[in-house]
Amino acid sequence: MPLYPVESEGNNLLSEKVDQMMEWSSRRSVVRMNGDKFRRFVKAPPRNYSVIVMFTALQPQRQCSVCRQANEEYQVLANSWRYSSAFSNKLFFTVVDYDEGADVFQQLNMNSAPTFMHFPAKGKPKRADTFDLQRIGFASEQLAKWIADRTDVQIRVFRPPNYSGTIALALLVSLVGGLLYLRRNNLEFIYNKTGWAMAALCVVFAMTSGQMWNHIRGPPYAHKNPQNGQVSYIHGSSQAQFVAESHIILLLNAAITMGMVLLNEAATSKGDVGKRRIICLVGLGLVVFFFSFLLSIFRSKYHGYPYSFLIK
Amino acid sequence: MAEHHAASDGKHKASANAGGSVHGNSRPGAAGGGGGGGGGKGGLSGGLTQPAGWQSLLSFSILFLACLAGFSSRLFAVIRFESIIHEFDPWFNYRSTHHLTTNGFFEFLNWFDERAWYPLGRIVGGTVYPGLMVTAGLIHYVLNLLHITVHIRDVCVFLAPVFSGLTAISTFLLTRELWNQGAGLLAACFIAIVPGYISRSVAGSFDNEGIAIFALQFTYYLWVKSVKTGSVFWTIGCCLSYFYMVSAWGGYVFIINLIPLHVFVLLLMQRYSRRVYIAYSTFYIVGLILSMQIPFVGFQPIRTSEHMAAAGVFALLQAYAFLQYLKDRLTRQEFQTLFFLGVSLAAGVVFLTVIYLTYTGIYAKIHIPIIASVSEHQPTTWVSFFFDLHILVCTFPAGLWFCIKNINDERVFVALYAISAVYFAGVMVRLMLTLTPVVCMLSAVAFSSVFEHYMGDDTKREKPPAEDSSDEDDKRNSGNLYDKAGKVRKHVSEQEKAEEGLGPNVKSIVTMLMLMLLMMFAVHCTWVTSNAYSSPSVVLASYNHDGTRNILDDFREAYYWLRQNTDEHARVMSWWDYGYQIAGMANRTTLVDNNTWNNSHIALVGKAMSSNESAAYQIMRSLDVDYVLIIFGGVIGYSGDDINKFLWMVRIAEGEHPKDIRESDYFTPQGEFRVDKAGSPTLLNCLMYKMSYYRFGEMQLDFRTPPGFDRTRNAEIGNKDIKFKHLEEAFTSEHWLVRIYKVKNLDNREPLDHKLRSVVPKQKYTSKKVAGHILFCCFNQK
Repeated sequence: MPLYPVESEGNNLLSEKVDQMMEWSSRRSVVRMNGDKFRRFVKAPPRNYSVIVMFTALQPQRQCSVCRQANEEYQVLANSWRYSSAFSNKLFFTVVDYDEGADVFQQLNMNSAPTFMHFPAKGKPKRADTFDLQRIGFASEQLAKWIADRTDVQIRVFRPPNYSGTIALALLVSLVGGLLYLRRNNLEFIYNKTGWAMAALCVVFAMTSGQMWNHIRGPPYAHKNPQNGQVSYIHGSSQAQFVAESHIILLLNAAITMGMVLLNEAATSKGDVGKRRIICLVGLGLVVFFFSFLLSIFRSKYHGYPYSFLIK
Repeated sequence: MAEHHAASDGKHKASANAGGSVHGNSRPGAAGGGGGGGGGKGGLSGGLTQPAGWQSLLSFSILFLACLAGFSSRLFAVIRFESIIHEFDPWFNYRSTHHLTTNGFFEFLNWFDERAWYPLGRIVGGTVYPGLMVTAGLIHYVLNLLHITVHIRDVCVFLAPVFSGLTAISTFLLTRELWNQGAGLLAACFIAIVPGYISRSVAGSFDNEGIAIFALQFTYYLWVKSVKTGSVFWTIGCCLSYFYMVSAWGGYVFIINLIPLHVFVLLLMQRYSRRVYIAYSTFYIVGLILSMQIPFVGFQPIRTSEHMAAAGVFALLQAYAFLQYLKDRLTRQEFQTLFFLGVSLAAGVVFLTVIYLTYTGIYAKIHIPIIASVSEHQPTTWVSFFFDLHILVCTFPAGLWFCIKNINDERVFVALYAISAVYFAGVMVRLMLTLTPVVCMLSAVAFSSVFEHYMGDDTKREKPPAEDSSDEDDKRNSGNLYDKAGKVRKHVSEQEKAEEGLGPNVKSIVTMLMLMLLMMFAVHCTWVTSNAYSSPSVVLASYNHDGTRNILDDFREAYYWLRQNTDEHARVMSWWDYGYQIAGMANRTTLVDNNTWNNSHIALVGKAMSSNESAAYQIMRSLDVDYVLIIFGGVIGYSGDDINKFLWMVRIAEGEHPKDIRESDYFTPQGEFRVDKAGSPTLLNCLMYKMSYYRFGEMQLDFRTPPGFDRTRNAEIGNKDIKFKHLEEAFTSEHWLVRIYKVKNLDNREPLDHKLRSVVPKQKYTSKKVAGHILFCCFNQK
């Protein structure tokens, strides 16, 4: 690590600062800073450590949901560093909240949060010392890569394992097991075909409406136009979709299927003729109307598609 | 290109319908007739003495028409362009088939291809599924034996359409086993024209999937048949069909997991029978041995995790059968039940782990750049489902519902098939192909049961119509409670009561609307096939405002230039998409190709493309590159060119060489990827940029735009003064689509002392640049 050629007083100051930083970061992996602290420990020159600063606005009244997500990733990264074997006094993670250090924001001419900056041990931060949040995103792996790039400190991101999936599965299994045990004298319901058919249809509907795509890509629920405040539930392109849109499609598919089943029911069931005729017409209506609705949504997404039915 | 296409859709479609509408319109009629044949035979049986004969004639002709429709709706590309192999992978298959027919089968198995992956080479015989090549080669051989002389290329081009006809037949057979003949005919009509299957089987798309779907459906048919009959004959047939599937496509893993799953669920449902035991034991052993005969598969079936489920179910079935045997001799019922519970739980856990592992495996693969860069490995949006399946995607859940409500052994199978296939299709868009057949079958079940009830006339029937039951079926039916003949009789008795009520008006309205939906399906299929799936992508077409067509044949022009004008052993560097085409059409050595097995080699090519010229020259020298081939669409507005793929090259290169290549260097400070003046200097000086836009700055395409205006990215290029030091332009095709550069040899070294003597006295009046040069020389002298 390059050391400044400093006189003894500066040296004392430096070791004092390092000690202070070490103490703070041993208490919490991310050090909270206000304006004074920031100027003293991050900006002021006698320094032999790099500082990563997250400028953010975490107060609830700021309503910055991105800040919260970014903060979580940042905490994961800082904890990975804090508890790694390579932990040293060369690198510190700090955070400046807008409501605690608004003067710092003004001083650095910063008008967006969250922003990640690296303050190198020597010299002033350059352009590349500001993390490109817009393009790379704020996943802690990306942050770690950026830090490795700027400081030569390699951090292996260790995410605390997510037990919620396992717990949910165990709960489900025990619930099913418990239910079976409680009703062990009457297991007829297992042979209920309707239940199984319902379950199968649920899987099918979830898949054909693109829930897996939602799961992997994580699209927004719907899009709100910032200019006029209109909410659009249908994505304009055929390459993507919103969550709300996939729910609508799920309902449409289910309605068409139900129409087909009703048509069949009307023809096969025994009972009052008038009632059956009504069931038949309702089924037919469901199939025809919702299919043309589906077709019109498809047409609005797939530009240049020439066909439509009943509804434009 | 895409815009050209969209703008000219109207005219385009008119010509498309002229070719395809004959078949497109014949299908709904045929389908309706099929439904009528299945359900409304009352009229026929009243007037004719031999209804069975009429019925089989009708079925035969419908099936024949379905095959014909399937075959001919795949010929758009051949009619519009010519009999040509499409896209990328088919070119490799074609090249291998050509090798097979010229050199013989054993030579093909031992083939080491030194023209791919220079300098590594590729063992082709051991790393391909040979089924496709052998099938095409065999057909070619038989035709030549009969003195019908066709070129092997034509066999390859028309193989997929022919097999789609066979797929229609096998789908008919399978659906007939599952439901009834009417549904089978409908399913055959659906699968013949459904876009989800056409996408992989148009004429010219000579790829594994084209024949694999036939093998898949036929294997399933034989499996269902063998579970129903419990005869070793059908099971051996199933194994042979499975063997063909293994030899044809890697998707055989789907079969080897679905059939054990079927057996496992049958055990759980306590539907165990000797038939199942005989079928599965025979299938597992014979199928295993046969599948290991394929060199590429080898010992995988007993090693890898995706085959373990089959082995586990085999063991479980033996244990269960043994317990059944003991049960006849022992009385301790409770012990047995407990044992059964334990065994089934353990097997269930094994099954879940396997499924979990596959799931995570697929999930992890999605995030590797080279796999992510292939568009068909993406998850599927609902639009793709609807685009590929249209009305079938909305109605097949109804078919699934009917199947589960009237469950029997083989309907368990189709339900499991539907659920697993729909899951995989949701994860990866290319697996839509395996979903398509089951969707066709189940939709056919849904439509046919509606037609069955609504198409019959109101006159009371004299007798219940004879179902498609041969003698053999009847014999078996007596032993089964859930067989189809029994069900149909029940339907008929109910139907007679029902027909008193609903009335002819309601019935005809329902029938009309249903037929209308099917007609829309047929029209949709024709439109999609014509517009989306029938472009060879080797030959492009653009349309003028008056509807005339321009053929852009730049690819073949450039490949034949390479073939004719370069040394036979010249090595051509290009991005991996074009590897197979260069090998197939130009017959030259390539560095990387579409079989993307070596990521570091691809990354090296990506690094050369994204470095500056001198750094790239180093790499190209070390790889012995003679020519560099790139695709440039800026002149005609072709969007699939190398500049648009460029970021993937950078990403893949960055994955292997993070010190030299950084993705962020290729973006502007605002994070945009731009080729104009505002673009990043690294991009503007990298090899790919320079090769794409060399001398493009002098070219004015249009009076409204400045010279050097890129039509694909709608920007005036930022670096118009491009000069090469180590490369020279060798060839540029008519529309600039393909550009080929020759890599120069190293410069001759000038004698050092002579140069020094002439340079030193000039020192006084030279500019700074030359001064620097001298300094360098002096330094060298020391």
